Amino acid sequence: MKEVYQMIVCGVGGQGILTITDIITIAALKKDFRVLGSEVHGMAQKGGSVVTNLKIGKNLHSPTTPTGTCEVLIGLEQNETLRYIQHIKPKGKVISSKVVLFPISWKKDRKTAKLAREKIEENLRKFDVDVLMIDAEKLAIDAGLAIAQNIVLLGALSQIEGFPLTVDELRDALQNRVPTKYIESNLNAFDKGIEAMNTSA
Amino acid sequence: MVKLEELIANEENRVLCLGNEAIARGAIEAGVQVFAAYPGTPSSEISAALIAAAPKLGFYAEWSTNEKVAMETAFAASISGVRAMTACKHVGLNVAADAFYSFMYMGCKGGFVTVVGDDPHCFSSQNEQDSRWFGVSANFPIIEPSNPQEAKEYLKIAFDLSEKFEIPMLLRSTTRISHARADIEFNRYETNYREGEFEKSNRFKCLPALARANHPKLLEKMEKIKEWLPDSGLSTIEGPDNINEFGIITSGISYAYVKDALLMLNRDIPILKLGIVSPLDETTILDFAKDKENIIFIEEVDPYLEDRISALLIQNNVTPKIHGKSSGITKRYHELNSRLVAEALTKVIGEEIVSIDEIKQAIEETKEFIPFRPPLFCAGCQHRAAFWELSKVVRKNEGIFASDIGCYSLDPWVTDTLLCMGGGISMANGFARVIKDKPIFAYIGDSTFFHTGLPALVNAVYHKANINVLVLDNRMTAMTGFQPNPTEEIDIAEVAKSLGVEYVVEFDPYNFELGKRVFEDALKHEGPSVIIMRKICANEWWRRMRRKGEKIDVYQVDPETCIACGTCLVQYQCPAIHWSIDTNSKDKNYSVIDPSVCTGCSVCSQICPTGAITKVED
Repeated sequence: MKEVYQMIVCGVGGQGILTITDIITIAALKKDFRVLGSEVHGMAQKGGSVVTNLKIGKNLHSPTTPTGTCEVLIGLEQNETLRYIQHIKPKGKVISSKVVLFPISWKKDRKTAKLAREKIEENLRKFDVDVLMIDAEKLAIDAGLAIAQNIVLLGALSQIEGFPLTVDELRDALQNRVPTKYIESNLNAFDKGIEAMNTSA
Repeated sequence: MVKLEELIANEENRVLCLGNEAIARGAIEAGVQVFAAYPGTPSSEISAALIAAAPKLGFYAEWSTNEKVAMETAFAASISGVRAMTACKHVGLNVAADAFYSFMYMGCKGGFVTVVGDDPHCFSSQNEQDSRWFGVSANFPIIEPSNPQEAKEYLKIAFDLSEKFEIPMLLRSTTRISHARADIEFNRYETNYREGEFEKSNRFKCLPALARANHPKLLEKMEKIKEWLPDSGLSTIEGPDNINEFGIITSGISYAYVKDALLMLNRDIPILKLGIVSPLDETTILDFAKDKENIIFIEEVDPYLEDRISALLIQNNVTPKIHGKSSGITKRYHELNSRLVAEALTKVIGEEIVSIDEIKQAIEETKEFIPFRPPLFCAGCQHRAAFWELSKVVRKNEGIFASDIGCYSLDPWVTDTLLCMGGGISMANGFARVIKDKPIFAYIGDSTFFHTGLPALVNAVYHKANINVLVLDNRMTAMTGFQPNPTEEIDIAEVAKSLGVEYVVEFDPYNFELGKRVFEDALKHEGPSVIIMRKICANEWWRRMRRKGEKIDVYQVDPETCIACGTCLVQYQCPAIHWSIDTNSKDKNYSVIDPSVCTGCSVCSQICPTGAITKVED
């Protein structure tokens, strides 16, 4: 691994962004990496756009990841993926859920919504990065836990070349972090994410 | 959130936690005995952690009614010989300013530390106030950590310094430290708490003659700290010592950005990092600057270091070229990051930086498609219901609406002014003096009511202001994380009545017709009226019900009856409701309620013009 691995997780408040950030940091810590991230709390959490920056490595200083500095982005909502994709380095990786959560402006103006939805893949492609869109909602439902869309994406992340944590390390951390009665369905969701990556490759 | 057992475990360990939780651990390791605070982002998690830990460890901690009350509570404990602490956000520090300007003159006994969370970029605040200036105006010594681990260690140092020099200390954090998550080294600690003992002395009375004598003593203390600083280990110089062309002076989070920026530029330049930014370590600064051709200041928001140190250099005939806010290499607003700092440095040192022009171009081409996603009232929020009813009785241009700080700041329909904690009722009083043809409304939450709303209400009653005060009592301080507050014990309706408010009414905003009648009725009343919406925060109620596994009666839309008018989801803006076809199409469109988000408040069913929304029957 390079000295510092930088990544970003984004979505809408309530989608489990902090949960997967937690799982990654738990696994990283166990492996004796240092971790440093930044979160947004307070007002912005109420259905707003939420993002966490995360650095894993040895020699860490600032907690944020400016434009063009991240290896990978995990997006739980496709418009939020577009909002934060600028943080990715050229040739970096983006794994995004296909989920669309409608902001109030789009509920008012369905024409704009239609245009933006039609153009989303084209817009994402304007950035010089590898974008993989995953039907995380369907895969989570298949896994038996509709809300585990974040965990599907975590499974997908484990397959990214150069990501410093292994499948087993993430699975361990996942079991540490989620409520006992949901461990099995979360592990299923995690495996669905791995599968999705391998079938798309 | 770090688990309470982990936070208080008395062992050496490396623990994953927030910067604020690291600060709380620092307080435990420092042996804090009295802690009092009012919540405010980005400081609340410090207090939440310490208030949870207090009963386990046997010290005292409370959620106070405001920052001034909190600081005074802690100060009394400190001058009784025990270690005491308070924490607040930057604007909260202003509320306590009346107290601390005079505390500084008196000095403390047991270590006394205030932690302030500044919020460059206004992530959750009404301004970008830079609290470092209190170091000059109040002679507040300020220690400024650059990362979460340092925040914990610096807090312990601050307690020691406060005791050594008998002076209150300010630890300045910023959002990116308070809300950073990192692995933190925990140390063992002792809980040999001291007995409080108050030794009577004139220094704790700020009568003019005594204050006049105390002011020079305060300045002497600041001089002593200044003399001690070069040996403190808190001013650190790093980088090559044979380079005189450039030198960077920085502190706090900006130091972290400098480190990453230099890595980005692959350059090594001497850096002076100041751990204490008030008073300034003049000896070390002059020594660092005297042979440098260029001094580059990297700091967020105000040119605090730049202005103060520039003056110091002039006074000592040290004349490097100064780069910073004055030369425009960084801005006087918003936060920095490593890239902005690298760009700032290149303007002085002439290095090339990896271009992001292609990314900028892609941003430019795509930005119009990215929807603005502002925070909204939660599904079932009673504030939404109350504001909807109010807006149906008095339209926006028919009244004046003074809001306050809390979840209700998110009102999308009527709000005209939003100033500061407790500012709504007093502004309504002022409007009532000059606006004669419109009804005047103020609204305020339960916590803000007790924080600073109460004196404003007393004033309005005393001066017979013809205003309507809507108290949005959701039984907790919801915006900052559902903290408890006096509304649990003190009935706001009884408070209003006891003050002599003649028109006091409580209502349930989930009843749309009732809500409208209440507002119509209040308008007929002369003098102050107090209308209280008393109902537990819908979000918290919903979470409790889900946790207990209890059934929530959700609502549904009949697709045949729905005419897609948008009343429930476009106008009322309930986030639980979506369109069946969410982009424009010729197929029949209708509203759909997401049963996993619906809290069963029923308001949509009451406002639907066609009666298409009904409760889901088993």
